[in-house]
Amino acid sequence: MIRLKDVSLRLGSADHTSSVQFHLPSFEVAVGEAVALTGPSGCGKSTLLNLVAGLRRADEGEVRVAGVNLSSLSAAKLDRHRGTHCGMVFQSFHLLAPFTALENVAIGLRFGARKRSNALERSTEVLVRVGLGKRLHARPDELSVGERQRVAIARAIVGGASILLADEPTGSLDPDTGRDIFTLLSKVAAEDERTFLMVTHDPALAAELPSKFDCSGLIHSARIPSGKEGGSQ
Amino acid sequence: MSFLSMAWRYLKFRWLVSVLTITGIALGVALVCAVLALRSESERALSKDAGLYDLVAGGKGSPLQLVLASVYHLDSPPGNLPYAEYGKLQRDSRVLWVAPVGLGDNYSGYRIVGTEAQFFDLPDRNGERFFQFAQGKVFEGRFDVVLGSQVAASTDLELGSTFFGTHGLVEVPGAEVHRDFPYRVSGILAPTGTAQDRAIFGTLASVWEIHETEDRLHSAIQGSALLEGPQEREATAILIRLKTPGLRLWMADEIRKETDGIAAVPINEILRFQRSIIGPVQRALLIVAGAVVGVSCLTVLVTLHQAAERRRRDIAILRSLGAIRSEVASLVFAEGLLLTGAGIALGLLLGHGGLALSVGPFRDSTGLVLNPWQIPVAELIALGAMAFCGAVASLFPAISCYRRTPIDDLHLTE
Repeated sequence: MIRLKDVSLRLGSADHTSSVQFHLPSFEVAVGEAVALTGPSGCGKSTLLNLVAGLRRADEGEVRVAGVNLSSLSAAKLDRHRGTHCGMVFQSFHLLAPFTALENVAIGLRFGARKRSNALERSTEVLVRVGLGKRLHARPDELSVGERQRVAIARAIVGGASILLADEPTGSLDPDTGRDIFTLLSKVAAEDERTFLMVTHDPALAAELPSKFDCSGLIHSARIPSGKEGGSQ
Repeated sequence: MSFLSMAWRYLKFRWLVSVLTITGIALGVALVCAVLALRSESERALSKDAGLYDLVAGGKGSPLQLVLASVYHLDSPPGNLPYAEYGKLQRDSRVLWVAPVGLGDNYSGYRIVGTEAQFFDLPDRNGERFFQFAQGKVFEGRFDVVLGSQVAASTDLELGSTFFGTHGLVEVPGAEVHRDFPYRVSGILAPTGTAQDRAIFGTLASVWEIHETEDRLHSAIQGSALLEGPQEREATAILIRLKTPGLRLWMADEIRKETDGIAAVPINEILRFQRSIIGPVQRALLIVAGAVVGVSCLTVLVTLHQAAERRRRDIAILRSLGAIRSEVASLVFAEGLLLTGAGIALGLLLGHGGLALSVGPFRDSTGLVLNPWQIPVAELIALGAMAFCGAVASLFPAISCYRRTPIDDLHLTE
């Protein structure tokens, strides 16, 4: 399902004064597998997730996702590939403020192969599934943080993406809510047999997933000036 | 959800900025629309009046003044012509229709125009009778009058009503009222959409009688020599329609040579008036309006640019959901088009609505009837140009969004 081989990527620091090298010799995830990406801050966990999503392109090496070598795709096809195969959940939810929960989810069906004529019906079904059947028309600022993350999960799965990518999905939540969200993510991934990659700092949550991948050492600090940390996570 | 509805939701979300931007565009567009529509409509209305007559003969003075006084019932006439000239013109085989005009009095600010009964036989350019009677008939008695439609509508006069004329062409407090000479309404004209709607038409004989009597009275009071015997009768102007309009200039030249007066071609005088006086004012207004529109387009550019900058995170989210560059650029572009479109629509409504509100006062002061909802070609071109400017202004932030890489903006917070 996902295979990265000898992937190298040069990452600039935020102030563009230095760069670091990301190198991943090999990484493979089978269909339906659930993997926790672990490691210390700045080790390259999010970079790995973004490479799989096609939000970053590798400078060298091969990134194959759902049978497609992402390096061979044009920018537009890469966006469409992501829209079709990957559902993303972020630490800070990334909902669109002007739209209701239902609309935020329906927008997930707006692009590429996810496009559907019965978007609102389908979105309603998914929101009911994540426990927000009574909050369909609430806007993000009217939802609790846990509810917001549920909307984000609904948006990630509504289009039937075969890969669920979660970048610290519990990072902004209190422990109990975080636990609920993790349970929900694991459940929808398992029930739908989705491939599930989750970046987490929480060893307890990581331990609950069948596989773990330690990202330590993926970033080589080629030239990092003192006091500055490279990478983009 | 379509791009347009998404764009609309974003505009609604930051409604204050959207409303201010739309208002800015609308004000510029309204000004342009109002100026262009006013120009077009005033030209049409002025030409409609001026086109009624091929020539106007009158006393020596400004031809424009003569036309304004005798055709539009504005301004004072430059002087008089001997009434005998009217007889000569009646006998001229080149003349299709001719009527004398005598001015001097008003009622509630509406001029009392002394003329002859055949004045109402004036044919329009299609050969149909121009004046139609809504009520009553042409004057028969010496002090019978026919009201223009607006006079009837704005005064309490009706068929059979009597009233007194007041000396002078405009209403002035304390002016002499001719109480010995009551007028009686014998007819009311149907609206013509011209300055004739603001006039009261009586007999020329009544104008002479009133003023000759008043002159005798004044002479007696002042102890000066009494005016005895028949006086030479005069007319303020003579309105002429020719069988062949192409003869206007020759005939005007003839009248100038053979009489003490002048002859003017109304349509020429009005065109000259528009070009020399109204034209520059309208051009200045158009320049101001163009500047307002230009500033409004810049506002669209700045607004959308700022909106796009604020929405970098949202654009990145859409990209993470699978939106391609052209789709997010289209979304931003659609916002710009909505702002521009709403501004133009509102401006169109404001411009023409404002014109509609001014129809009454404009008609009352000039007699010209404007159609405020008529959109001239020049206005359509201007609207197209403004829509184009708005589209170009919307393109810049759209291109900026097109170029952005989502990974750079996903880390941004709300």
